[in-house]
Amino acid sequence: MAFSSMTFLFGFLPAVLVCYFLLPTRCRRGRNMVLLLFSLAFYAWGGVRLLPALLASCVLNWAGALLAAPGKRHRKAAYGCTLALNVTMLGYFKYTGFLVTNLNALGADLTVPAIALPAGISFFTFQAIAYLTDVYRGTIPAERSLGRVTLFMAFFPQLLQGPILRYGEFAPALTDRRETVSDAADGAVRFCFGLGKKVLLADALGQIANGAFAAGGRLTVSLAWLGAVAYTLQLYFDFSGYTDMAIGLGRVFGFSLPENFDYPYVSKSASEFWRRWHRTLSFWFRDYVYIPLGGSRCSVPRQLLNLLAVWLLTGLWHGAAWNFVLWGLYYAALLMGERFLWGKALERLPAALRHAYALVLVTVGWVLFRSSGLAQVGEMLSAMFGAAPGGVWSGETVYYLRQYGWELLAAIPAALPVKRWLQTALTQRQQRGSGSAAVTLALAPKVLAAVLLAASVVRLLSSTFRSFLYFQF
Amino acid sequence: MDKWLNRAFLTGLLALLLAVPIGTALWGAEKTTAYYENRTLAERPALTGTSLWDGTFGSAFESWLSDHFPGRATLLKGDTAVQMRLRPVVNGAVLGGEVLLPFRDYDTWSAEEQSARAAERGEKFAALNGYIEENGGTFLFVGFPEQRTYFDSEYPAYLNSCAEETASASRLFREALEDRGVPFLDMGEVYDAQGHPASYYASVDHHYTWYGAWAAYQEIMETLHASGFDLPVLTEDDLDIQTLPNPCIGSRNRKLYNLWPNDDHIVLGIQKDPVAFDRRDNGQPSGTPLFVTPSSAAEPVAYGVYMGGDYGETVLETHRPELPKLLIFGDSFTNALETLLYASFDETRSLDLRHYQGGSLKDYIADYRPDVVLCVLNDSFYYTTAGNGAVWED
Repeated sequence: MAFSSMTFLFGFLPAVLVCYFLLPTRCRRGRNMVLLLFSLAFYAWGGVRLLPALLASCVLNWAGALLAAPGKRHRKAAYGCTLALNVTMLGYFKYTGFLVTNLNALGADLTVPAIALPAGISFFTFQAIAYLTDVYRGTIPAERSLGRVTLFMAFFPQLLQGPILRYGEFAPALTDRRETVSDAADGAVRFCFGLGKKVLLADALGQIANGAFAAGGRLTVSLAWLGAVAYTLQLYFDFSGYTDMAIGLGRVFGFSLPENFDYPYVSKSASEFWRRWHRTLSFWFRDYVYIPLGGSRCSVPRQLLNLLAVWLLTGLWHGAAWNFVLWGLYYAALLMGERFLWGKALERLPAALRHAYALVLVTVGWVLFRSSGLAQVGEMLSAMFGAAPGGVWSGETVYYLRQYGWELLAAIPAALPVKRWLQTALTQRQQRGSGSAAVTLALAPKVLAAVLLAASVVRLLSSTFRSFLYFQF
Repeated sequence: MDKWLNRAFLTGLLALLLAVPIGTALWGAEKTTAYYENRTLAERPALTGTSLWDGTFGSAFESWLSDHFPGRATLLKGDTAVQMRLRPVVNGAVLGGEVLLPFRDYDTWSAEEQSARAAERGEKFAALNGYIEENGGTFLFVGFPEQRTYFDSEYPAYLNSCAEETASASRLFREALEDRGVPFLDMGEVYDAQGHPASYYASVDHHYTWYGAWAAYQEIMETLHASGFDLPVLTEDDLDIQTLPNPCIGSRNRKLYNLWPNDDHIVLGIQKDPVAFDRRDNGQPSGTPLFVTPSSAAEPVAYGVYMGGDYGETVLETHRPELPKLLIFGDSFTNALETLLYASFDETRSLDLRHYQGGSLKDYIADYRPDVVLCVLNDSFYYTTAGNGAVWED
């Protein structure tokens, strides 16, 4: 179930809110049970057939963690087996088709299996591995309650797209959280802002990206760049919008979910970009892959190998296709270059140039990411850098600029920390005794959130407008 | 103040979230059609084990809830009004010119593919033509440009008018028919020869106007005369040409909730001394007149005025056995023509194969053995193999 669906907004959400808040605050287990049941229903809405994979993962990691906890006999074997089963499960659902296709390309004659991919499997598997590893390392105790582990893995606000949680941060809230009116209001505002980002900006910008990436022989230099920039913005507003909604919902229920984005497009290097983009994934790879491999406290060749391994896995985590592998290796190369080759020279450049450097590299990276295969990567990149089959400019570019000009204009300030700047300025004025600043700080976010919610709902409805010229009754 | 504001905000939000499902349950579920979208609304899905298992229930429920959202049409109308101020293309309609046109995507068609499809269509029409001749009739294909083709020069330069592709597709189609001996009357060519008058086509609808139909009628009658038919022909003196004062809802403007300002009006060519007829629609006697006009001047009208819209089968009998029998089949461009053509024939049968359920065209021709068979299609249907394109099955 998508957050930006009528079913979620006007069916699931009011139902879970009513059921949850009708239970008294002291009935913590009951409230957790409501969240657990609704989380499973949220997941099963896309097809009950997908539920067994999630439930199996929950049971596996709950039991595996109990057996892998410090002091248990054969805990290393239990950890290794559970870890292997997690990786196998992810591999089976996500990478079997890719593997078989590539084996066939090498001469094998195998049938590519049609395996339904359980939604969010990459996220809940990584959360499970983090939990299992933290228990094995003795960082956190093993959770005895299967229900709590299941709620941790299936918690609906973050189940499908993160942020990737750590049990050590999540567990205390299961027993000790406090739902307050202030947090709920802040959470609701954050949710509405996230919904607006997704529905009003990302979906519109996605139309440009879809058009440009499907242009093929009509591609021009301008359309290729417009499509790449639109996708760069779409992905940010889509993903960060989802994260805002997840964090907002979490706050309504008293949970403090980790931030996943910190205005990544203000970065001045690829390294900085990855400290601002999908932070919970970066931290996961740092803590569970990069540092265990030796991190940067080893020889330079080993460091290079570690970086390569991490980014190869990062690429594959995002999708089972060669363009994702290429995208991962692209960032491996950039991060190696910034660390060992041109990083110091880059720091001496003016901020605007460093910013342009990062933006161009990130945009090129998203072209690798968005393309349907290596052939399209070549098509798009050669078009962006001058060799476009349709020349430099086309009416199609003008159409997209005129049709989605408002979204493009709004996207730029929305991708910058304008909100943060305004908030800081108003807070300072409020501290100096300004009454109007205090009113604006209290009122403006809520008014804007209400407007964004209304506009998003109308836009969602408009997306269901299907007109037929001829009689279709 | 913060606490009060937070409570008010949360209460308002929760009220909205609860109001929608309650409103849907109370009022939204009653509606079955969306007039401005010209479609039926999604039905409430049945909850079955299979649909829950594979997730189809979830997607069907989403469609149902979206379609039955309380105040959906009003909200969409408001949104359309806003979008019309922000964008050049809204709900698939191109704004900003003198006429409303549909947005055409930028995909191009390959000439080879078109050529192969044209040959295939040519074979079907040639088979039909031969069969009509075997049954003692004469066939004429009457091809019209659709409004988007007629006004293709009105598209802004940055949009795709598909002018070249459409011209190429129409040319290939015409050649495919003519090469196989199928008589083809190209009304686009006729209109061009008459100076391509703007008055021949609606600005807010995909059809031609009565003036376009009148020009077509005259050309068809001339063509039939040249083929040896001596038929009574209506002249302008026989008609009282009236312009309805009613606002006109065209199919293009309907997509915009009729918000695009325009001066289109429906024109009627009413015979001063009308040829009497008996009418049957879908086999049942019908009192529907040639022009179904509204009861008041304020009521909006649409192209459906002519013959009362599309029917699977309409029969108009004038009880003049000395005149030949006509079978006309095709899209809604037939409707305005029928109000004129029937006056020149003993019996006029009109089929819209999109809706006709009584059997194949071939069987219909064998049963009624018409003297003249007209196929009336606009160029958007030339390559359609279903509906009125299903002209022949071996």
